[in-house]
Amino acid sequence: MRTDSINIPGTVTLLAVAAAWEASVRTGLVTFEYLPAPSAIVVAFAEIVRSGELLANTAHTLRSIMIGWVLACLIGGVLGLVFGLSAFARRYFLASLEVLRPLPAIAFLPVALLLFNFSLTTELVVMVYASIWPMFINAMGGISNVAARLHDVSLTLKLSPMQTLVKVLLPAAAPAILVGARLCLGTTLVMAIIAEMIGNPHGLGYAVVSALQAIQPEQMFAYVLFIGFLAIALNGCLMLAARRLLPAYGREAANHI
Amino acid sequence: MPRRAPWLTALSFGLPSLRGLLPLLLLLVIWQVIDPQGSPYFPPPSAWWTGLATLMRSGRLLSALGATLTTFGAAIALACAIGGLAGLLIGRSRAARRALGPLLEFCRGLPPPVIVPVAVLLLGYVESLKLVIVVLVAVWPILLNTASSTAALSDLLGEVSQTLRLGRLATLRKIVVPSAVPAFLVGLRGAVPLAIIITLLVEMLTSLPGIGSLIVISQRQFHSAEVYGLLIVVGLVGFVLNGAFVIIEGMLLSRWPPRASYVQGT
Repeated sequence: MRTDSINIPGTVTLLAVAAAWEASVRTGLVTFEYLPAPSAIVVAFAEIVRSGELLANTAHTLRSIMIGWVLACLIGGVLGLVFGLSAFARRYFLASLEVLRPLPAIAFLPVALLLFNFSLTTELVVMVYASIWPMFINAMGGISNVAARLHDVSLTLKLSPMQTLVKVLLPAAAPAILVGARLCLGTTLVMAIIAEMIGNPHGLGYAVVSALQAIQPEQMFAYVLFIGFLAIALNGCLMLAARRLLPAYGREAANHI
Repeated sequence: MPRRAPWLTALSFGLPSLRGLLPLLLLLVIWQVIDPQGSPYFPPPSAWWTGLATLMRSGRLLSALGATLTTFGAAIALACAIGGLAGLLIGRSRAARRALGPLLEFCRGLPPPVIVPVAVLLLGYVESLKLVIVVLVAVWPILLNTASSTAALSDLLGEVSQTLRLGRLATLRKIVVPSAVPAFLVGLRGAVPLAIIITLLVEMLTSLPGIGSLIVISQRQFHSAEVYGLLIVVGLVGFVLNGAFVIIEGMLLSRWPPRASYVQGT
């Protein structure tokens, strides 16, 4: 579902939804006790921008996302490489990982809380556990699916195993690895918000929950909408980077839902 | 390089060899043998079992498990119905896609956990809160996948229905719906783990009955053996639900196999 340069009906719909929301709150048409009008949300947003609160929370969340993402990509990528290359690893270790994979990462939160208390470590443990899987699966699939003919090429050219990896296997698996990295970033963001809601009282996730507990609906909605835009912006950046790195990849990835 | 469906990955590797479970078992045995005595943080596996047995005897485990599974099951069923129908409708109409595009794009981009506080604020701690939230979260992957695959239905198939003079209903039943099944399943595959996570999150945040709140209560009371035991229970639930889904998916896909001509773009 790609939107073209300027989607007029789409923009009109967005504006209409906002206008209908504003009108129904003003006229008391809707009965929700705590639904703020869009204009009140804009005011609250300006307020959290001015107080620097938004910036500080965003900085915390972005920092943990970056740390978590890099860690998850490294761990997942290396594991994926090892399992993609080695039949021995697949035979003797894969099932152990396959048993751990469907374990919902959120269930680790209480364990992490028990071990590390309310801290950044708790947040990172949960984030990294959840996000290594997309990277792992894609890297493993990418490496082990490299066409047999390419292996013949590296044999013909008498490439060393290291050269084969760097010059043949990694470039061939790059698109799959990039998909893994993108999925991984999405998971990291979601888990960061979850971990901040329950495990680490800092950042955007905590800001939403504390605004809820303080019954400040305007502020809460401002944060929620901001998180939505942040997620879209992060994903957009990554798509752009992927298109730069692999021009052929861009068009296909654009079709992914 | 299109993203390979995980079931393809599973097929190409064959089922992981059971010998692969050895490292995990070994780890648990070593944990049990070393038994970090006195450490409240790493109770040995046998203590997990005792912790679970305590919860089981008091009846709290089964009632929590029931509550969580009921929410999950009902939410997935509703999300399938709503997401599938709305996806077909939006996918069929170009105007609807244009008009709703940015709105849907935003809803898809919104990280699911933030829906929880919004729903709590608007609805309060009511009985149906859990269900509403999980449906709201699980519906998006299903809806968007169904819509994009319906929209990508090749013109050739439209001409087929004209040639065969199929009515609207027959076109829908014989061409549109079968072609949407694979993409619908891809959406469902995304929705299942998401629904499990969000069900647990709602329970943890709101203390509504379920496994999520049970595990948080054990953690707050520093009953670490119970926490580890419940972690295993959650893992088993995730394993069984995902496994059941893979089986259902395989059955549906053998009935309505994906065809290159109508799944372009998914």
